[in-house]
This record gives sequence, C-alpha cells and structure tokens, in this order.
Amino acid sequence: MQSTAPARPLPPAGEPVILAQDVRYSYDRKRFALAGVDFAVQRGEVFGLLGRNGAGKSTLIKAMTTLVEVTSGTLRVLGMDPAREGTRIRERIGVVQQAESFDFTSVEGNLDVYGMLWGVPRAERRRRREALLERFGLTDIRKRRAFDISGGQKRRVQVAKEFMHDMDILFLDEPTVGLDILMRRTLLDSLRAEVRRGLTVVFTTHNLEEADYLCDRVAVLDEGRILVLDTVENLKRLYGGKKTVDLTIGGADGPGFFAALGRELGADTTVTATGSSGVILTDDPKRALSTIAALAQHRAAQIEWLAVRPNTLEDVFLKSVAHPAEGRAAP
Amino acid sequence: MPLPKLLRLIYRNIRVNTDPGSLIILVGLPALYLIFFGFGFQSLSGAAGSGNYLAFLTPGILSFQVVMAGTVGGSILWADRRWGMFAQLLSGPFTRLEYLLGIMLTSLLFGLGGSAVMLGVAWLLLGTGPTSPLALGLMFGVIVLGSIFFGSLMLLLGALVKSNTAYNSIQILLIFVVNFASTVFYPLSAGLPVALQVLFRINPLTYVADAVRGAYAGSLTATDGYQLLLLAVESVVILYLAVRAYLRSELSYE
Repeated sequence: MQSTAPARPLPPAGEPVILAQDVRYSYDRKRFALAGVDFAVQRGEVFGLLGRNGAGKSTLIKAMTTLVEVTSGTLRVLGMDPAREGTRIRERIGVVQQAESFDFTSVEGNLDVYGMLWGVPRAERRRRREALLERFGLTDIRKRRAFDISGGQKRRVQVAKEFMHDMDILFLDEPTVGLDILMRRTLLDSLRAEVRRGLTVVFTTHNLEEADYLCDRVAVLDEGRILVLDTVENLKRLYGGKKTVDLTIGGADGPGFFAALGRELGADTTVTATGSSGVILTDDPKRALSTIAALAQHRAAQIEWLAVRPNTLEDVFLKSVAHPAEGRAAP
Repeated sequence: MPLPKLLRLIYRNIRVNTDPGSLIILVGLPALYLIFFGFGFQSLSGAAGSGNYLAFLTPGILSFQVVMAGTVGGSILWADRRWGMFAQLLSGPFTRLEYLLGIMLTSLLFGLGGSAVMLGVAWLLLGTGPTSPLALGLMFGVIVLGSIFFGSLMLLLGALVKSNTAYNSIQILLIFVVNFASTVFYPLSAGLPVALQVLFRINPLTYVADAVRGAYAGSLTATDGYQLLLLAVESVVILYLAVRAYLRSELSYE
C-alpha cells in the first residue's frame, strides 16, 4: 500500500490532530448526545472510543467527520474547524460508517469507483484495488455484485475501499461488526501497518479485546460524557490491584442474589450482573469467595460456574460504567 | 490529472446506477411506446380517416424522455440514502451542492441522450425529423427545461419518501397520471371531460409535449411560448422546493 503521506501540512509537531474542548451536541436543545467532551488525539495515535449503545460514540464520530455540527464547545480536526472548513477536512480523512454503504456494482467496481471519486489516477487505482482485494480476501468474489454478498463480506468491502485513497486520519465506527476472527485480525493488523506509516486512527468498538490489541489510548463514554480516558496500560494498572471473579448461579433469584452480594461485599467491590451471571471486581478475592459461598448456602443457590482471573480492559469498562465517579479523564 | 469533482460524481452516477438492463428499459420503453402505440393507433386513425398518428406521437414520445430522466435523478438520491452512499459521499470530499448538481446533470444527460436515441428511432420509422437545425435546437432546449422540472420533482420525492414501497408506488402513479393526462399520446380536445381537460392544462408535460411538437414541425406558436414561460416558472419553484427538502434530508434512514 502506498504511503498515506498527507498532501498538505499537518498541525505543527506536538499539536494534536484532533482537539475537543467541552464539546456538546443536542438534537433538540434539551437532551445532549454529547454533554461536554474533552480530549486530544496526537498524530499516529490509535484512539479508541468505548461505550454502551447510545453512549455518544457515533455522534462524536459524526461531529469529527463534519456530518453534524456541534452545539457548543471547541472542536478542531487537523487544526481546522469542522463547521467552517468541512470540505478541507473531509479531503484528508477516511470514514468507515457503522451502517453499510456500497454502490450497486461489483466488489471490484466498488473499490474502483470509490478510488475514482477521490481522484486517484487509473493506474494507481488498479494497483491499490488488486492489493486490497488480496489483503481483505475478496479476490474470489471480486466479480460478484456487492449487494449479493454476505454481511461480513460487505463489511470487508466497506473497509477495504477506504484504503483506496490517502488520508491523515481514519475514522472507523464499529468496523469489525460481522467479521470472523481471522478477518478481524487481518483488519486490525492492516490498521497497525498504516499507523506505523503515520496514519492516525479513531475507532469505536464494543469489542474490548480489539481495543486492547490496537489502541494506544481509550476513552469510555457514557451518556455523552467521557468517564475514563487513559492508555490501556494505565487503565489496567489503575484497576490492576483488583481481581475479577466470574460467577454463575442456579436455583435462586439471580438479580436478588447479586444485589445482596454487592451489599455484603461493600463499596470497595463492584458487582455487575446480567440474570444469573455476574462479574465481581475486588481487592480481596478470598473474602469475596467466602461471602459467595455463605450467601449461596443461605439462599439455597447452586454455584454453576466460578472463576478468579486477572483484570482485563473489559473489567475496566464495566467498573467505569458502574462507578463513573471513580474513573478519571485525562485529555 | 484527476477529473473535476462534479464530473467524477456524474461518471459515478452513470456507472453504478445504470446497468445495461436499466439502460435498455430507460431508452427502450419509450421506443416500444412509439412502435406499439404508434402503429396500433395509426391503423385506428387511418380507419377513421384522420391524419398521421405516428407523426403526432413521435414528438410526444420525445417529451416523455423528460419524465424518464426525472426518475433517474430521484432514484439515485433515494438509493444513495437507502444504501448509505449519501452519507458516505458527504463524509468524503464532496459538498451537498456538488452532490445535488451531480444528480441534476446526470438526469439532464439521460433526458438529452434518450431524446437523441428516440430521434434516431423516429427517423427510422418516419423517414423525417425536425425541419431545421434551429428546430432541433429549440426542441432540445425544451427537453432541458422539462428535464429540470421533472428531475426536481423526482428529487423532491426522493428526499421526502422513506419507504421503498411508497417511493415506487408514488413514482408509478405519478408517471401514469403525468403521461396520460398530457398531450403526449393524444391532443387536448373539447370532447374530453372537463376534469380531464383541467388536468391536461395544468400538467407541465403538456407544455413540454406541445412545445416539442411545435419545434419538431418548425411551427412554435405564441401559446407554446406562454406555456414554456409557465414551465420555466414552475421549474424554478419545484427546484427550490426540491433543494430545500434535499438540504434538510437525513443522511440515511437509520
């Protein structure tokens, strides 16, 4: 793949390529999809946006890609104001939307037309198209119409065509949805290779393993606010003193059991439950295990699954969403 | 040296929205109208002892191309919104205005291209064409104006309607009413019911058909001039409404 070297200068060294200060966005001036977001992204960084559905991730991506105008606050992309210099920004970014987007032509036609729309010369388009078809495993289906292929294949076409043109920042909104494990890893490795060449990547995901694999820093969003923002390593360290206990019970009221467990273990422990399964983050796993055993006996519950494991980014996410005040945001 | 952005959009619209099958239908359907209606009703009018129906119908079918061109523009916008390419293109190096112009010019190309093909078919069937280069120029001028009107009308539809079924149903109904309540297929006569006469008179395709017929025969009248002026005013109004609806339209149906 050709270098993604920018056609025009980037912001001076040390200045962020994306800067958000107290960014707010409201659809109706009453409810805020973004309720005061602060962060900065440096050149060559992979910046992950994590959060539940409706947390504000896609709105933030739309604001940075000039598709919506922020209600208030300061937003700069490549040193430019999206509200006033939208076209100049869009000429230097790539966007993989969450929703599918493709033209009614063949797989290779989609790549070729997209490259043409970006003004890539014909010979270069052909070179890139062949490389991308190979890299994303699309060679066998290159002649098939894009609307006739599977959801995962469509997603691959959508991501691949974004690499038909040069850019300074690539925004990806849940790019790995529908991809199998092998293709997900191929995509993440492709992104890593582009990052090594100087590309900045901002992406949203629900998959915390891939955020762990790819991101330099992650921000956890909830209800339009950033709950925690730090490097993956620091976040793990921050929550690193704790262990995670996975527990599944049977024969008793799950939500009632986990609510009682949370009360028994106290404020230092986080209990997050879905039905009969729960995740417990604790400094003292021995105490947690004895409390679980006692409570199970008292409530006549069977312990169907119990495991103690080290912390992961997923646990950081659960903890930060459950107790936002304990998180920290460091733009 | 890359093509200018507008030309890239037009090329893309033509390449991805018109496969060979669609092109054959777009150009072939009016030709089929000319052949089946033309020869069918020619025998009827011959039996009734009246004039050459094929010669009457030919300029009418040329006018019909502006409606077909309009459907191309509306369908591109609708499909791009439905399949995510509208948002994708607007997150790329294009402005909303460039995208809109791309669609309008694509419609216009279809209107002019389709008319040129129909002229060729008519020449084969009748052995005659417009009487002079001026008549030909006037005829294409009217086609351009008609394409702008119907292109805007279909864009308005594409910007407002969200369901595939509703879009197709409205489009089919619109094409049927606009075509058959106009002077494309038969002249406006006093024998028609009053309600139909009113519909004929307010239908912009009547103005296009009358003017194309006049230009084709080299006999444009003052009435044609007034009708074209009215069509120009209506085109400006409908274009304004279409642009307004388009600029406010959501990026997708999510």
